[in-house]
Amino acid sequence: MSDFGFEEEEFGTSFSGKTFRRMLGQTRPHWRRLVGFLLTIALVSALDSGFTYIGKQIVDQGILANDRAALRDWVRLYGGLIFIQAVGVFTFIFLAGVLGERIRYDLRRTLFSHLQQLSLSYFDRTPVGWIISRVTSDTDRVAELLTWGLLDISWGIMNTTTAVIFMLIINWRMALIVLAAVPLIVIAAILFQKRILAEFRNLRKINSKMTGTLAESIAGVRVTKALGREQQNLLEFGDLTGAMYRSSFRAAWLSALFLPVVQLISAFAVGSVAWYGGLQFQLGGMTLGGIQAFVSYITFMLWPIQEMARVFAEMQHAVASAERVFSLMDSLPEIVDRPGALDPGTILGDIVFEHVDFWYDEQSPVLKDFNLHVRRGETIALVGPTGAGKSTIVNLLARFYEPKAGTIRIGDHDYTDLSLKAIHSRLGMVLQTPHLFSGSILANIRYGQLDATQEQVERAARIASAHDFIMEMKEGYATEVGEGGGLLSVGQKQLISLARAVLADPEVFIMDEATSSVDTLTEVRIQHGIEALMEGRTSFIIAHRLSTIKRADRIVLIQNGRIAELGSHAELLKARGHYYRLYTQQFRRQLDAEVETLGTPSPAPA
Amino acid sequence: MAVELGTSDLRDTLATRRLVGLWRLASGFRRLLLLATLGVGVASFARASSYLLVGRFVDVVLLREDLRRQLPWVAAGFIGLAFVQGGLTYASGRLAARSAEGITKRLREYLFDHLQRLSFAYHAQARTGELVQRSTSDVDAIRRFFADQAINAGRIVLMFLVNLAVLIQLDAQLGLLSVVVVPITVSMSYLFFRRISKAYEDYQEQEAVLSAALQENLAGVRVVKAFARQEFERSKFDAENWEKFRRGRRLLIMHSLHWPISDILSGLQMLFGLTIGALMVMEGRISIGTYLAYSGLIIWIIWPIRNLGRLVVEMSSGLGSYGRVAEIIREEREPLDEGSYRPSRPPQGELVFKGIGFAYPDGGGEVLEDIDLHVLPGQVIALLGPTGSGKTSLVNLLPRFYDYTSGSLLLDGVELKAYPRRYLRRHVGIVEQEPFLFSRTIRENIAYGIGREVSPAELETAARAAAIHDVILTFPAGYDTLVGERGVTLSGGQKQRVAIARTLLMDPRILILDDSTSSVDTETEALIRTALERLMQGRTSFIIAHRVQSLMIADLILVLQGGRIVQRGSHAELVGEDGLYRQIHAAQTRIEVELERELAGV
Repeated sequence: MSDFGFEEEEFGTSFSGKTFRRMLGQTRPHWRRLVGFLLTIALVSALDSGFTYIGKQIVDQGILANDRAALRDWVRLYGGLIFIQAVGVFTFIFLAGVLGERIRYDLRRTLFSHLQQLSLSYFDRTPVGWIISRVTSDTDRVAELLTWGLLDISWGIMNTTTAVIFMLIINWRMALIVLAAVPLIVIAAILFQKRILAEFRNLRKINSKMTGTLAESIAGVRVTKALGREQQNLLEFGDLTGAMYRSSFRAAWLSALFLPVVQLISAFAVGSVAWYGGLQFQLGGMTLGGIQAFVSYITFMLWPIQEMARVFAEMQHAVASAERVFSLMDSLPEIVDRPGALDPGTILGDIVFEHVDFWYDEQSPVLKDFNLHVRRGETIALVGPTGAGKSTIVNLLARFYEPKAGTIRIGDHDYTDLSLKAIHSRLGMVLQTPHLFSGSILANIRYGQLDATQEQVERAARIASAHDFIMEMKEGYATEVGEGGGLLSVGQKQLISLARAVLADPEVFIMDEATSSVDTLTEVRIQHGIEALMEGRTSFIIAHRLSTIKRADRIVLIQNGRIAELGSHAELLKARGHYYRLYTQQFRRQLDAEVETLGTPSPAPA
Repeated sequence: MAVELGTSDLRDTLATRRLVGLWRLASGFRRLLLLATLGVGVASFARASSYLLVGRFVDVVLLREDLRRQLPWVAAGFIGLAFVQGGLTYASGRLAARSAEGITKRLREYLFDHLQRLSFAYHAQARTGELVQRSTSDVDAIRRFFADQAINAGRIVLMFLVNLAVLIQLDAQLGLLSVVVVPITVSMSYLFFRRISKAYEDYQEQEAVLSAALQENLAGVRVVKAFARQEFERSKFDAENWEKFRRGRRLLIMHSLHWPISDILSGLQMLFGLTIGALMVMEGRISIGTYLAYSGLIIWIIWPIRNLGRLVVEMSSGLGSYGRVAEIIREEREPLDEGSYRPSRPPQGELVFKGIGFAYPDGGGEVLEDIDLHVLPGQVIALLGPTGSGKTSLVNLLPRFYDYTSGSLLLDGVELKAYPRRYLRRHVGIVEQEPFLFSRTIRENIAYGIGREVSPAELETAARAAAIHDVILTFPAGYDTLVGERGVTLSGGQKQRVAIARTLLMDPRILILDDSTSSVDTETEALIRTALERLMQGRTSFIIAHRVQSLMIADLILVLQGGRIVQRGSHAELVGEDGLYRQIHAAQTRIEVELERELAGV
């Protein structure tokens, strides 16, 4: 599914200090690990510079002085330091890595938890893929920067600093020559990385487009083949791959240019060192080992500077990711408990809609001055054309959304005065496309009441007419339902969601009937299940089945956000109005659907 | 890069050994790749030379007082060599990029086209998500292989060899002693990386689990809220989240052990080399200049070997991806132009089925058996029967989506299998139950089946006949409105009518339609009905009937059950027979009577 319609946020090229500080804040609970690895890095990079210095001493005090004892001492020191450094490397990799994993864990946890609180409207307008990106890849990038990024920068800074210090110790004049090269390299690095980053951003866009086209072409392959459109499609795809080629190539050669430029600048530095150093040596102001050390240090500094440039570029990426993560964290749920929200212990009672107005988008109102008084225990069937407002009424009743004007009363309370938990824990919902969670049938039914016993679950299943088909399955209640319930048929999923609702023993029952056809046997079972739930409970059903409609106490025909007709089945038929028309058409339509199922075994009459 | 280059060649590149396959995949770019690697090798040589220059600088220039003349040359030498090195590195980087991008582009186009041309049977069992993954992430992994890993591997090997060669030139004994530890490092890396790969796989697996858990939670948000199960969901997620942390930590321990160990090995090797070198200078066996050159060179021998191990692991993902892509390439395409009979004019539309039988290629028994039928041009045939009775399979034979497995099917007197598929699909139009439209403009969707420019007049005629023209005019951009998420979302009925317009524009002689309009309200139903009837005029039509009205207008009704025609005739004839048809009709009558009774009672 492509997310093209949703506005993907573009991150700016400026660096947001505030976000960066907030990112660093993520490390605060684990500050010990952070400090630990920074200290270890300092140690390791000091040692790195130290090795080069020892190399110099080996030349000057060992070889040139022809002093074997001194050589042996320096070699021993070098060897010892190798082991110390290895321990250091182990420590900092481990600490930095674990810090990273912890930060990932923390961010994912916080985001997930926050998501549970957000209102339905958020999920209705945000594509699932976008949310998943935030929780997985964006948190990854933030963690990467806070650990390896920080590590690379610290390592780079420390290496460069210690190298410079050593150089200054050996010969401060030559050190200054070298230092002159550093700002040049830094500028080059920044310029390059900016251009490369811009190119990558462009590449990402083209890539999204290409992936979208590819996915669509695979999904619609039947049509392509049926219409003989293969050649044409290929030509069009060629345009995309061409654009991709150009962008990718450009990014690649820009990157390829960067390193040689840096090397060139440092070669100038080395050349100057050779020239100046040579002169100094003649004058006795510089040892051979010193020159060698200098050359080493210059090459030695190259790598960290490059790495820092790379990290700087990635930092922008990461800060952008952090901004997205924080924006998700900061988004407020629209439907919240009011201060002082109460839980009256029950929501039994009349349900009244008073002058309710509602819209999803201000330009197109869905409900206008909607009024309905439902008595306790009544079953209401909501019927009407698509888009008339039936699902909205149910969404409002379930307090997934709240009225823009008017009130909804449950019992004697304005329902916005009640806590969300008070309402939801006593509401039973069965939706049009039944959603199950991966796990066993038992676990899914138990979702209605988490601490139910096996007997209670089976009782609920029996009432919902689900028990029989569950026992027909090889593993019975332990049967795995698969992701989203994918291993079961639509009819079976419906029955399980009915059982789940029965187990929850709600005080109010809401149902959005599915329109998909199932085989006759399952159809009968589902009907029984619905009736069981409707029994004695205040029920709101968006009804499609004739049997459900007929069994309702009252039928509400909704058109254009208003009640067009209201009354019992017999009353409305007599009126020969919209309902009459709807009913007769539905009747005939059900006949046509029967044609499909003829030839399949029908159940023995109950 | 010409498209023709790719389309038939890549199947020839398949090989059982994946590296060989990848090598073959690079055909046409191999010269560039080799040049790139060579360039990198020469660049290494240039760098090695700059160390030699250091050696010379020390020995000849410094110690021999020849300074004033030689010094500027030495300085210039460093810079010149850097230019050479830099220029070559850049050039080879560019060449590598050109090869990698070129190979990838060709592969992408090939896969796209190949997938389009694979048979229906293949697509019926393939999963869209997986195909997309292979065409994108796996192709990208192959790109990385050519762009980075292959060149890097080449560079490392070359760097190692070149520097070693130079070193041995300086002093053979020293050179050889410097690489004693290399085989140990390589094998240790290999061993470690096997375990790290396993740990990494576990980590990735858990990542997928976590992603799926998140997705499920998001998809079921209504259920979660309705049952107020937020806490429950949190702890469920936390279990998986923590598990990922644990596996990450385990992976880290292995990483953090590997680096220091290889660092120790490399460090000790360097120390050993430097010590021996120092002793050799002190014994007068080599010059100090040589020693300095050596101390520079040795780094560029040891470091590459350390990185090679890591590179091997990265390459394994490229190999894995290649394997998956090769699987797709291996599949046989559906031949579009194969056929001995190539008429230049559209068919009349007379069909004769003689003892036709069909079974799906992957087994599962006979889906159609013993079908005998004679259809005259322009007739309307209605197919009726329960799910799985073979109606769809029967009509799928006509455009040769699948080929019948027994019997003979004649179109205008010639066996259907003799017609090229391309021809048949041009002249057989299909309107499905749930038509698929593309994220393009309405205009482009309607003209999707036509290979030429379509005038607005033709478009409008088709749209009017399909009863969708007026609706299109109500959209913000009319015919140029985008369909789908970026534009307007069409209702089920509107999609059907656009599909009907699409088919009308194609002007096929033979028509296959599924007249189900289940999720549509009655006004639209009537419009669709009209459009379909217009569509069927003068065309041999096969209707998979769901609506009883379709049965009324059919010239011949076929009742199918279990893959066989159990009844055939006109409506009047079938009602008179004892069988399934009468049952349906009886049910209809019964319901009508019930309805009447009910209405009368109120």
